[in-house]
Amino acid sequence: MSSPGKRIPVYVWRRFGQSLFFAFFLFLFIKTDYSGSDELTYAVNILFRIDPLLAFCAWLAGKAVIALMLPALITLGLTFVFGRFFCGWVCPMGTLIDGSRFLFPHGRQNFSPAWRRLKYYLLFFLLVASFAGLPLAGYVDPFSLLVRGLTFAVHPALDHALTSFFTFTYQQGPDWLNALTEPVYEILKKHILPFRPKVYALSIFSSLLLSAVIGLSLLERRFFCRNVCPLGGLLALVARFSPFRLQGGSTECGKCRQCRKVCRMGAIDEERNIAGADCTLCLDCLEFCPAGRIHFTWTGRRNAVQPTGITRRAFVATVATGFLAPLVLPSRTLARRADSALIRPPGALAEKEFLGRCVRCGECMKVCIGNALHAAWLEGGFEGVFTPRLAGRIGYCEYNCTLCGQVCPTGAISKLSVSEKHATIIGRAFFDKNRCLPYAKGIPCIVCEEHCPTPDKAIKFRESPVMNSRGEVVVVRQPYVIDELCIGCGICENKCPLSGESAVIVTSEGESRHAGYAGADGY
Amino acid sequence: MDRRQFIKDIFLWSAGASLAVPHFRILPSALAAEKPPALLSLARGEDYAALVAQVLAPLGGIENFVRPGDKVVIKPNIGWDRSPEQAANTHPLVVKALAAQALQAGAEKVLVFDRTCNEERRCYVNSGIEKAIRELDDKRVRIEHVDRRKFVPIKISRGKSLSEWEIYKDALDCDCYINVPVAKHHGLSRLTLGLKNSMGVLGGNRGSLHQNLGQNLADLATVIRPKLTVIDATRILLRSGPQGGDLKDVKKTDTLLASADPVAADAYATTLFDLKPDAIESTLAAYKMGLGEMDLDKIQVLTA
Repeated sequence: MSSPGKRIPVYVWRRFGQSLFFAFFLFLFIKTDYSGSDELTYAVNILFRIDPLLAFCAWLAGKAVIALMLPALITLGLTFVFGRFFCGWVCPMGTLIDGSRFLFPHGRQNFSPAWRRLKYYLLFFLLVASFAGLPLAGYVDPFSLLVRGLTFAVHPALDHALTSFFTFTYQQGPDWLNALTEPVYEILKKHILPFRPKVYALSIFSSLLLSAVIGLSLLERRFFCRNVCPLGGLLALVARFSPFRLQGGSTECGKCRQCRKVCRMGAIDEERNIAGADCTLCLDCLEFCPAGRIHFTWTGRRNAVQPTGITRRAFVATVATGFLAPLVLPSRTLARRADSALIRPPGALAEKEFLGRCVRCGECMKVCIGNALHAAWLEGGFEGVFTPRLAGRIGYCEYNCTLCGQVCPTGAISKLSVSEKHATIIGRAFFDKNRCLPYAKGIPCIVCEEHCPTPDKAIKFRESPVMNSRGEVVVVRQPYVIDELCIGCGICENKCPLSGESAVIVTSEGESRHAGYAGADGY
Repeated sequence: MDRRQFIKDIFLWSAGASLAVPHFRILPSALAAEKPPALLSLARGEDYAALVAQVLAPLGGIENFVRPGDKVVIKPNIGWDRSPEQAANTHPLVVKALAAQALQAGAEKVLVFDRTCNEERRCYVNSGIEKAIRELDDKRVRIEHVDRRKFVPIKISRGKSLSEWEIYKDALDCDCYINVPVAKHHGLSRLTLGLKNSMGVLGGNRGSLHQNLGQNLADLATVIRPKLTVIDATRILLRSGPQGGDLKDVKKTDTLLASADPVAADAYATTLFDLKPDAIESTLAAYKMGLGEMDLDKIQVLTA
């Protein structure tokens, strides 16, 4: 053994590991974008595919094993052997919470341990409700919360801040300054910032949720991980059986409670037993034990300390809630007629199956090069919040692009070939003749026809005499939609030059995923 | 840094975020060039790279337009996410050969760009133009995506319909602006040629220009003045323009036109579609404003 002075403390290794995984996560986040070819080069959605909470919920909701999510079993298997290393070393949300600790230096310790049960309640509820038809896991999954917050708010905000700065230096600064700043901006734009400024629905709400998760550390260190995170709950259940574990403290330690003091998860009890279900292997206790008693070793036997479990009664109540809650869903008006403004991405499964699989990760919205996909609010019901919808006036679905299906970790949006995509109808356009210039005012326009991307244009025009606002009869080209050719991409709605509401609007009518559908209960 | 300095800095930078006004000054008088001669060169051939030099030869070669040390802008049509054979964008070989010619003439910088209609990166990649320019492997030539900070409001004093529009700084602030449109069908304007291609250097809500497109394009032509227009008619889109998508609508014509007169170039190109020059409103409007010649009898055609 080298001398203690030269030894690198284990927390340095842990921080290094966390930083490495976090950097990897950010790398994949940035790479969730068009890269110059139709196919993405990296498996940018891998983070979601190793998440067993999302995997189980999607499997239960779909009543089938989705092969894309099988890597989640690896996480589960490793947790079964080593415990909750995932929470302490891999999880980017955990790293972010650890990294933001300087914001909350006075976090209280030992908040009521009863709170720990919350994550199990949540877990059981989510699993059962997913099975019973109310899929909500994406609401609270740490990765979904994180990626949504970053995609919708943090990344655009960073872009805005830096672009404002470099716009100022560019427009007001002297040449010598620009010689320095412009290359920096170019590099940032190429490698870090979104290619074009992006906007997102629910951006502020998502950033507030992310801030709240981090801000919970004000109550207690890693409050979210200890008490709320249902993924942590699932891993905790499995970690109870892990044979490798930190241990070594005992009553022989006397009054020293250094390990308890440094434990960020509150996993160590008065007798210095370390609960496998709570320990995230941060190794601080091992590092800071003055007597060097604590080691990470094979024990082979069941964990001596049982974690704070939930009572049988609470378990039954949770499971019952999970089964009963979905029963109210058919009472909504949505059950009779879907919201026609809710346009799903191309390749989206039929609505019920889609909602079951969608984990609200925001990947499709991050990758959407038309900035067309946005988080739904209540258009798809309570269980549809944060699911993707096309907002034609904000962005449009690029005709030859298939990226959303490529990043979807669960196949809620199928991976389509370009020719399949061309044949997939996500909606249909309608003209508002009271607003459309050639109809309403006798003014030439047909920008919609120009942009309509189908080789045989779905928007065509006919020349008609119209009386304009000066009372003159003029011949203008009036656009109209050929239903059989329109695929609902929304470029017409997007490019309509009217300054307010578009004169051509896409609705979900005719979408191919519900071929022959005429309203669930309609006539 | 003390508190006072800190507050000063904060004010400075937040002002930068919200109040920044571009301070470039480009006087309209500097943009008005003398009326170019109505000379037009026409070349046919299947080797598009060689065809560019061939079509320029009767006009005195590229050297007649690009002087050593010039900053050159080449403005192709890269508007659509379409492949070269679909004829929606300028042929990459034509753009590449033109850039090579400009370099050969001693250009200090050659810049290629377009403000696209479809997603920019897809257009640059799938048009083949980005790759073609990169293949030149010369530091002096760059293909860039449009930088939104560079749109500056320009007064259009001679405009009949437009009085001001945001125009890309680099398109105005260069020694030689070369317009390289692809000739193709267009629903509203019947054809899109040189004058229409100028829309790729505009900022703002371009869709609204369609409400009086012909006159608007002519007005813009009073300030956006290419020294040279090369019309790519190597293959032309006859229907479903301006983006097409069906090869049945494409006709191979293996033709390039070049002229210093933007109106003459457009006027002659119209005949490739069996139309008369006055069928295109922008050609007619520009002719009426004295921006060039559209009378086919008065355009001297030199076959290369």
